[in-house]
Amino acid sequence: MTTKSKRHPLLNWGIFLATIVVVFLLGLLASSILERRTEAAYVNVPKTDIDQFDPRNEVWGENYPREYQSYYGTADTSFRTKYNGNAMIDMLEVDPRMVVLWAGYGFSKDYNQGRGHYYAVTDLRNTLRTGAPEGPKDGPMPSTCMTCKSPDVPRLMNEIGVKQFYTGKWAELGAEVVNPIGCADCHDAETMNLRISRPALIEAFERMGKDITKASHQEMRSLVCAQCHVEYYFNKETAPGANYLTFPWDNGFSAEAMEEYYDNMEFSDWTHALSKAPMLKAQHPGYEIYMTGIHAQRGVSCADCHMPYKSEGGQKFTDHKMQSPLNNIANSCQVCHREEAGTLMANVYERQDKIIENRDKLEELIVRAHVEAKKAWDLGANDEQMTAILQGIRHSQWRWDYAAASHGGSFHSPLETGRVISTAITIAQETRIKLARLLAELGFNEEVPYPDISTKAKAQEFIGLDMDKLKSEKQEFLKTVVPEWDKEAEKREKGYDMTTSLQD
Amino acid sequence: MLRRLLPPAKWRLPVLIITSIFVGLIIFIFYISKAHSYLSDNPATCTNCHIMAPQYATWNHSSHREVAHCNDCHVPHNNVFNKYYFKAKDGLRHATIFTLRKEPQVIFIHEAGQKVVHNNCIRCHKQQITDPKLASSVHNHTAHMQDRPCWECHREIPHGRVNSLSSVPNARVPLPESPVPDWLESYIKNN
Repeated sequence: MTTKSKRHPLLNWGIFLATIVVVFLLGLLASSILERRTEAAYVNVPKTDIDQFDPRNEVWGENYPREYQSYYGTADTSFRTKYNGNAMIDMLEVDPRMVVLWAGYGFSKDYNQGRGHYYAVTDLRNTLRTGAPEGPKDGPMPSTCMTCKSPDVPRLMNEIGVKQFYTGKWAELGAEVVNPIGCADCHDAETMNLRISRPALIEAFERMGKDITKASHQEMRSLVCAQCHVEYYFNKETAPGANYLTFPWDNGFSAEAMEEYYDNMEFSDWTHALSKAPMLKAQHPGYEIYMTGIHAQRGVSCADCHMPYKSEGGQKFTDHKMQSPLNNIANSCQVCHREEAGTLMANVYERQDKIIENRDKLEELIVRAHVEAKKAWDLGANDEQMTAILQGIRHSQWRWDYAAASHGGSFHSPLETGRVISTAITIAQETRIKLARLLAELGFNEEVPYPDISTKAKAQEFIGLDMDKLKSEKQEFLKTVVPEWDKEAEKREKGYDMTTSLQD
Repeated sequence: MLRRLLPPAKWRLPVLIITSIFVGLIIFIFYISKAHSYLSDNPATCTNCHIMAPQYATWNHSSHREVAHCNDCHVPHNNVFNKYYFKAKDGLRHATIFTLRKEPQVIFIHEAGQKVVHNNCIRCHKQQITDPKLASSVHNHTAHMQDRPCWECHREIPHGRVNSLSSVPNARVPLPESPVPDWLESYIKNN
């Protein structure tokens, strides 16, 4: 090979220079892309720093005024649908049978249709179920009851530890848990991504062999709700002295799977005052039932209907007023369904009406079973004779509660809700056949009269509750103890650093 | 021929180095621009360029989310060559405008894109268009279908009416992550 190029030397220099220019331009493009990607990371960053555990919704509201203001819409209690809505409805007044079903348990004292997130802490203090603790070691309810009520909870769990949080009485945390459910419950302060702030859901996923960190954004739009709107119980064996919040999902989500889980561990929430049956109280398996419904099967998340997009001027944002979609049909239902609002509303009511028809019948059957079981005890039945009967009462009432306590269940999954209720009717009737045989055996062969429980007051008197005492104790508690809690909380929050901002 | 392209022996080393830099840069640009993702149909790809965030967010809250992604509407589907030709053409224009920082605050669809979208509306909704029962249920629907694009009437579908970059603040979309490595980010944060 010759050392002299056949080309003109100037051409070689030209190629060299052209290469330099092209490499320079490519470098420029690369740096532009990098610059733009950095920019992307800052497209929607907050204007001021928020501490990861800041429980005060107002502070988050400074950065996200629209979301915050719409969140305050949950304070509205003016909307009522045929069965629910956001008004506070005294469910025991509407359906006094529940008083008898829950005899011997807190729910027979007081049970209201829940109001918006804004009232989470207020309503927990007001309900007769939490009693009237005079000191931090008092009261019928454990600290675990606070778990879902406030963004103060992740803060506290971080400060004192999860097990410690679950230990003790709820009054101990009275001054600590004061902000109602809000921003920090679902959002990461740094990225505003949805996050799971409660350990129970993460632990339940782990036991099912699933990794919750792999959930997509769309799944997270339901899972942040599933932190609280689920069935749960307090496990006393996880950690010594603690009422450890646990989801009974190891065998599955269905009423049968959870029933099996509880039966295997011989768990009961309370013993029924009339029938002496070991009872289960379903909390609110909203997520579990939703998962069996058509909307979940089609990939629609909780937020799609309960927090749809909203426009204000040229600004679009997620409406943080979590509420019944029936109060917002245009933005929630009609995004997908092109029918008239009235038609859609009628469709929902039709499902609810049909479910409640059988639910009402089932309630009557279980009330009868409780009363008949009491009669059997009174006539001298022994434990052995009663075992299968009490198991039947436990199972049918658990299924009734699973269907009834899942608010919105008859819309979220009418088929599953209807199925669970119908299996409960079968169990209740089988149990009553057994009861009839036993009563006959004990020499009583006629109908046990149905008690007069036409109003809440009559029903509560029937099961022997002293309501006046409970109410006056509560009044005293709200007048003396609660203001002290609020004073203490205010003092603590004044100590938070409010001045963190862009400068640091 | 090939020999003519080779540089003279004493130039080989510098030319080799410059060529390597050249090739390396091209690979680097492929990597950081996620060029491979543009071959897919994943809607997150469209938010690589973050000014598409409102379009992603509004689509993700629309009834089309479950059945149609960006490419179902915005690229032709008559054949695979046309699909990728259109994608490449559109993509190069977008990349140029974005790099030159000439992107508008409010994005409007170009004429070529309009035709594609309109054809795609028809492609999926053929049944609704040709069914005489449905056609007669909306006043003058048949006539209107022939002299205007679908969205002249169906204005909210699927992105809604307002679509500027500032119209969906704080929307959670899969923007590309920051290219700043973690160690550097934590160093910046701590100092």
